[in-house]
Amino acid sequence: MEILHLVLRNLLARPVRSLLTLLGVLIATASMVLFLSFGEGLRRSLFQELSRVGPAIQVVPEGTEGLGFGGYPEITPRQLAALQEAGQALGVRALVPTLFLARGGFDPQTSFFFQGLPPGVGPDLLYPGVRAREGRLVPTEGGAVVGGKVAKRSQLSLGSPLRLSPQVGLKVVGILEESGGLADNLIFVPLAPLQQVLGTENYSAVLVALNPGQKAEEVARALEAAVPGLKAQTTGEVMRFAERALRISDLVRFGISLVALIVGGLLVANTVMMSVYERIREFGVMRALGARRGFIFRLVVLEALLLALLGGTLGLALGGVVSFAINLYTLDQVGLALSAVTPRLSLFALLVALLLGLLAGLLPAYHASRIPVVEALGRV
Amino acid sequence: MLRAENLSKRYRQGEKEVVALLGFTYAFPRGATAVVGPSGSGKTTLLNLLAGFDLPSEGGVYLDGLALHQLPEDERARVRLKHMGFVFQQWNLIPTLTAWENVAFPLLLAGRPRKERQEQAFALLERVGLAHRLHHLPSRLSGGEQQRVALARALALDPPVLFADEPTGNLDAESREQVAALLFEAGKERTLILVTHDLELAARAERILYLKGGRLAREEVVQPAG
Repeated sequence: MEILHLVLRNLLARPVRSLLTLLGVLIATASMVLFLSFGEGLRRSLFQELSRVGPAIQVVPEGTEGLGFGGYPEITPRQLAALQEAGQALGVRALVPTLFLARGGFDPQTSFFFQGLPPGVGPDLLYPGVRAREGRLVPTEGGAVVGGKVAKRSQLSLGSPLRLSPQVGLKVVGILEESGGLADNLIFVPLAPLQQVLGTENYSAVLVALNPGQKAEEVARALEAAVPGLKAQTTGEVMRFAERALRISDLVRFGISLVALIVGGLLVANTVMMSVYERIREFGVMRALGARRGFIFRLVVLEALLLALLGGTLGLALGGVVSFAINLYTLDQVGLALSAVTPRLSLFALLVALLLGLLAGLLPAYHASRIPVVEALGRV
Repeated sequence: MLRAENLSKRYRQGEKEVVALLGFTYAFPRGATAVVGPSGSGKTTLLNLLAGFDLPSEGGVYLDGLALHQLPEDERARVRLKHMGFVFQQWNLIPTLTAWENVAFPLLLAGRPRKERQEQAFALLERVGLAHRLHHLPSRLSGGEQQRVALARALALDPPVLFADEPTGNLDAESREQVAALLFEAGKERTLILVTHDLELAARAERILYLKGGRLAREEVVQPAG
């Protein structure tokens, strides 16, 4: 019969009310865990992906830094020539101009992402480790190499036709093995047909592969100095940029889940306050028998904390289960685990739940510990 | 020894001032002292002040020379825990705790280890004839049984002062007799202050104080029966 035992007895004495409150906290915590798990999942996938990307530097038009793969093609052939000249002088391994085109809607099932590569360059230069499962690895003139997941999803096989526009069509000449990375969802085609479809001679980005021993930061700054109007970003810079963007989106998502958390907190406060009002005489008896104010205060705060901790733990578990289910779907659809319940997210969720309980318990606890003994005992 | 000196309590009721107790002075000796009087005579107010539940408007309460009325709330609680036991009319057991846990509650407040709490609570409940009710919740006990649990709880820390406020008010004849016998037995070796309407019960005390209109009207020394 320690103090925690007393608290537990009281919660169990009103099982339905305690359970309903627990459910409120559970749902609030689960929704917060889920919201924030998307940020954690994106972060994890992105960094895994970026750490696998071959080229150490991406050159993009100024103002489209970050993850500007899909930016409007603005790098002109003249700028490319200047880059190649500067790259040769710096002794880089390869300089690959590339172009992106997205076809389809919001549904990953019906969308196609094309990446244009110069003649003779295969996807393995940009995505180390990819291998052809069938046919060729390097796209040919009029021939595309298809990522493993796209091929499976759209039932493409060697020789299948691909239409980029009414005028431009290609045939599948190679299918890649699934590697669990971004390349699984891409279709690699020669640059020329993409430029024809987009009506431009420009490129979206130029990817730079370095020789061993070359320092990415130094090469990037030298390229920027050589060709004005372009931004050369190293993988490290992209990661930092992505981290910044993810932090902002974390805050936004936490803001949204805060609504559920506040409702959960008010539920706990309401339950504990009701329980305090019902037990005023009981607290009076405890004080009459010799309990100090601090004892009553602790009793009530612990009740709120216990409700919040139990609800928070169960909410965390529920969030984990739902996150797992979401990942099963997204892994199947786009090959990425979008949601992740990481240890730091779990710890954060439990701390938020505890803080919630503490805040919800303070006012009722203060109230309970300050009632005059004679009033509490009804002896006025 | 518990001593009240010129004890007065005044309340404000709107514009009116109500005098609940006026100039009460008495030194309670060892043994049972009954406090009787009609409703509104100041019995409950007197008990509230003696126990330190409330503070007097004038005068003071001294327990072995310690000025109880000058202590802060938490200190008064500490004094109650160590030196006073209480039996109320409505039993006032903690509803979520079993009989033995209720008896052990003051021992928990005093920081006694679990084993000691349990042993002592079991022994006290046996002493009041409830060895077969140790693990029952108050809701499963009769009024008389609840009052006996309350008495066992009041004796848990063996306090020198025992307060009983209408302890038999809600009980049937048989339970009343059982509780009264246990109460006066416990009162032999300590200061028992018994507030009651029941003159028959009061007559079993060694002294009776008659309150009227908030004043001590008279003191009667009774020859205890038997």
